[in-house]
Amino acid sequence: MRWALSLALLVLVILPNFLGSYLLTVFIFIFFYAYLGQAWNLLGGYGGQISLGHAAFVGVGAYTSTYLSMTYKLSPWIGMFIGGAAAALLGGVIGYLGFRFGLRGFYFILLTVAFAEICRLIVSHLEPLGGALGLFITFTGNPWQFQFSDNRSYYYIALGMMLASVAIVGAVERSRMGAYLVAIREDEDASEALGVNAFATKLAAIVLSAFLTGMGGTFYANYLFSLQPNTAFGIPLSVEIILRPIVGGSGTLVGPILGSFILSPLAEVSRAYFARGGLSGVHLIIYGSLLIAVVLFFPRGAYPYLRGLLRRLPRRGAP
Amino acid sequence: MLKRRTFLKTTGAAAGAAALGFPAVLRAQPKQIKIGAVHPVTGPLAEIGQACRLGAQMAVDAINAAGGIKSMGGAKLVLLPGDSETKPDVARTVAERLINDGAVMLTGAFHSGHTMAMVPVAQQRRVPFLVDISAADVITANVAKSVKEGQQKVQYVYRIFPTTTTFGRRAIQFMNEIFKATGVSPKRAVLMYTNDAFGKPQHEGFLKAHKEQGAPFEVVEVIPFPEVPTDLSTEVSKAKAAKPDIICPITRPASATLLLRELAKQRVDILGVISPGAPGLYEKGQIDALGKLIEYTMDSVPWINPISPKTRKIAEEYAKRSGGKIFDTNSGYSYEAILVMADVLERAKSTDPDVLVEAIRATSMRDPIMVAAGPIRFNEVGDNASASTAMVQILGQKPLVVHPKESAEAKLVFPAPKFWERG
Repeated sequence: MRWALSLALLVLVILPNFLGSYLLTVFIFIFFYAYLGQAWNLLGGYGGQISLGHAAFVGVGAYTSTYLSMTYKLSPWIGMFIGGAAAALLGGVIGYLGFRFGLRGFYFILLTVAFAEICRLIVSHLEPLGGALGLFITFTGNPWQFQFSDNRSYYYIALGMMLASVAIVGAVERSRMGAYLVAIREDEDASEALGVNAFATKLAAIVLSAFLTGMGGTFYANYLFSLQPNTAFGIPLSVEIILRPIVGGSGTLVGPILGSFILSPLAEVSRAYFARGGLSGVHLIIYGSLLIAVVLFFPRGAYPYLRGLLRRLPRRGAP
Repeated sequence: MLKRRTFLKTTGAAAGAAALGFPAVLRAQPKQIKIGAVHPVTGPLAEIGQACRLGAQMAVDAINAAGGIKSMGGAKLVLLPGDSETKPDVARTVAERLINDGAVMLTGAFHSGHTMAMVPVAQQRRVPFLVDISAADVITANVAKSVKEGQQKVQYVYRIFPTTTTFGRRAIQFMNEIFKATGVSPKRAVLMYTNDAFGKPQHEGFLKAHKEQGAPFEVVEVIPFPEVPTDLSTEVSKAKAAKPDIICPITRPASATLLLRELAKQRVDILGVISPGAPGLYEKGQIDALGKLIEYTMDSVPWINPISPKTRKIAEEYAKRSGGKIFDTNSGYSYEAILVMADVLERAKSTDPDVLVEAIRATSMRDPIMVAAGPIRFNEVGDNASASTAMVQILGQKPLVVHPKESAEAKLVFPAPKFWERG
């Protein structure tokens, strides 16, 4: 298994030498959404606390670093961490309210959606943040300003972010906290009876998840060069974040990555082949149908299914 | 992978064609010129995106029917339509794909955020991007600035649509001209605007232009309201208390309906409603719903040129191909963008990006199909210097251009009869 992973990594590292700008962009979004999915996975997958408002953390992180960079010329590389911290703070507030008052299931979901909407409305009315029109970033081509004239730089940053998220979530998975989170997901009352501090564990999970997601916001802003409250805080982005781990297998380390490698190419292929004719929206119908099929056939996600398949293969010695 | 395969196929075909055509001297001339058009064809902006796409496709068909690009041996235009799904990340990816599919120029993208996401693609891959619709000033200004400061070599982004600044300037200019012509000069104006991505910059542009250009009236009160409002009675009583001569609303359809009803209900005594540019005050659905309340309302908006025979012909064909829809601002500007591209290609005689940029900069295209202040020309920032709006007034339950004079199809009525004197 180890050598297969190393090989995959090597391929991803040398890949940009063989890819054009378009495929680089596709890979960049695969990595980026895998990164966001992994951050969500920590809270939603391992901890079972479903958030449908993760876009709020992207938005807060993106707006924070972009505002600091535009107003105080602070490098987004530093702003990224401040944005992450701001998102973590928001995550802490949501987590404290939600978990302190024992909101579970749908009620917690509604709480996260409500917070994302509140953030969207506040930012829409804040003059210094550009209000509803949003912020527009001027291209300077300065790497210190998180801007590159070559798509390959963005590729490596996105790849690095994805790998870092895997390392961090992997470390959590192997730690005591990971075990607590899974226990809480499976049966919160039973885990508490066994001495797990569910409140503190869940709070730590949402803070870390929000921090990682918030850092992703900086990449989002500097790759798309503008921020609007409706897109950066909107439900569609939250759904986009959740889809990856769900399709790939939530609560597993590989899930969000696999999900992203399944969904983004699927969307691209359906766009490239079915979005040309006079009938608009056909590609979305096809994408939606494929999505339904994936969820139907792999209700627990693609990775648990694949893992089962791999185990059943007869083992052979090295040739 | 799929892309690589098609790439191999096309390059293979091109190599084959080149080998076969070797004796011909002019083999560098392409038979087809591909243009990528990215619009929000699905999602919340779908209806607009589809209108834009149809407009662009019709322009391509018209140019091909007239013999294609003559200076390039009658090369035919091919439209590569792209769907941004009303998402900025998709807009960027689609732009990349269309360039891979062979687009030598891009147009789009209606939403300023989507256009911004496509700008780096155009700049990095050196593909001229002629923005058909997007009003935010920064789109071209940002690129012009970074070229000026030496961060980028060439500007590949140009725009034919009026910018937010232009919207404000034309609104004030038209109002001043109208007041002068009718001999009625209002002294007090109340500006009311919907506080969203559209209304906010629009109201700022208007106030800025009012300060710069001056007008006989003073803006005595500025009243924002949320979109979508459930009730505007407080806002309207506030406006009424300011004793305005004119109300300048920046609305969306839902708020426009509420506002006009409330103005009539509270019997606000004004000379007229003149919008600095907003939707909701000229659409067929709105006119049907509001009836005589919307009559005489003026709105300074980008509009198709009603007295141009060329535009009328296109409008008739558009109605046929769209199943009865009106050839409007959106479909019109997308159509015009393709016309400008054809004009550019005709003069450039090449698809080399830098030759195209030179040709774009030298553009002086007469008889635009939209209301304009002259031939289409690009200024140093890359914006259409002649981009303009038109003052449209609802007369006899139809939106008619009443100003500027060169494009007017009806005589304007100002001051307008009071709401309660309209029978």
